[in-house]
Amino acid sequence: MSVIDIKGLHKSFDDLEVLKGIDLTIETGEVVVIIGPSGSGKSTLLRCLNFLEYPTEGEIRVNGELIDPKKSDLDKVRQHMGMVFQHFQLFPHKNVLHNVTIAPINVKGISHKKANVVARDLLGKVGLPDKEKAWPSQLSGGQKQRVAIARALAMDPDIMLFDEVTSALDPELVSEVLQVMQDLAAGGMTMVVVTHEMGFAREMASRVIMMDDGNIIEQGTPEQIFGDPQEERTQAFLSQVL
Amino acid sequence: MTLINVVQEYFWGFLVATGMTLRLTAVSLVLAVVIGLLFAFLKISRYRVANIIADAYIGITRGMPLIVQLMFLYFGISSIVALSAFWAGSLALALHAGGYVAELLRGAIQNVDRGQTEAARSLGMSSSKSMRLIVLPQAFRRAIPSLGNQFIIGLKDSTLVAYLGVPELFSKAMTAAAANYSPFNTYLVAGTYYLVLVVIFTWMVRKLETRLTPYRQEATR
Repeated sequence: MSVIDIKGLHKSFDDLEVLKGIDLTIETGEVVVIIGPSGSGKSTLLRCLNFLEYPTEGEIRVNGELIDPKKSDLDKVRQHMGMVFQHFQLFPHKNVLHNVTIAPINVKGISHKKANVVARDLLGKVGLPDKEKAWPSQLSGGQKQRVAIARALAMDPDIMLFDEVTSALDPELVSEVLQVMQDLAAGGMTMVVVTHEMGFAREMASRVIMMDDGNIIEQGTPEQIFGDPQEERTQAFLSQVL
Repeated sequence: MTLINVVQEYFWGFLVATGMTLRLTAVSLVLAVVIGLLFAFLKISRYRVANIIADAYIGITRGMPLIVQLMFLYFGISSIVALSAFWAGSLALALHAGGYVAELLRGAIQNVDRGQTEAARSLGMSSSKSMRLIVLPQAFRRAIPSLGNQFIIGLKDSTLVAYLGVPELFSKAMTAAAANYSPFNTYLVAGTYYLVLVVIFTWMVRKLETRLTPYRQEATR
């Protein structure tokens, strides 16, 4: 079953059209990696998926249900989608454990005790079992990002969205975050990943989507996209980043 | 009267009056924060009418001398609603400081990274929950130094309530100076009382700031 189904998605900021008609279906268990030059609309597309940006035009279905940003309960929709941001956005006034439990407790109404158990389990899975009392400001970038992943997972989402999550990291910290994402993908999580990490795309993607200038210009398996790209712009982009 | 005589004569009387000054300040500043928060929200609201109301309020309260607002509230409003001098004074101080607090809190709220709200919303929090749990706690902590500053101004502004006949420190000093013909020494002593209060207050604000920010205030990215 498709988790997300997009038809004819357009998004404009004032006069600037950033997305120019996107059709995209994401099936359960897929790891979709979106690549493309900066300004091509990758992040905007991702942010439309959980309605941090409202589409200007087009239809978005989540778990089969057509979402109207003006009428649907977006808080409910977003509970099923975890998102991880480029700049972490941990809550600086909460310690690591509270960062992970705050949403389950305050949104889902889960008890503190139960939320703590889930949070500790997740912090263990992202390799930070001993950091629950630390403040975000005491963590490295890689650690922050792993806490951010645990925080999103704590809501038990159907799909995880990753928005250039390694772009703000020092190079030596990238792999620890990618490792957590690989574990997730291997565990069967449905993921949409906007990234410049071509290694991750090649190894982990079930589908690679190439975007340019607000359009999806090519998509296929990593073998197809990296091994035998059909579009000239894909070839040009890949020759620059590989 | 020598300075020593003044201290001996008025030490306790001034101390009791200081209690009134502190009550005025405390009541007015608690109200000012409530009023300030309300108008800060109106100011950042996406509704145009709310913005206009907030701008009008902030403009009026900041644009008129406090003494005029005091007189207006005491003599103007209390001809319609019975308002004791204490409450008229507290209310006027609160309405006046509220304008400043509104601007200050608006700035603090808007200075919290938009990404913090987005992160909260992406976890399924409603906009009011993300404001209450994520944005406001950070905004308040950052506003503590300027709020403390505003409180010190409020403490000193409370002297003006003397003109409504509230028996606070400055009115006691005026009465004393008129009776003992030693204005220099009398106001020196009263001024020292205010100075000591401000010093204690400043220290408390600094303590509060450290206590409420156990995390280093990184530039939240």
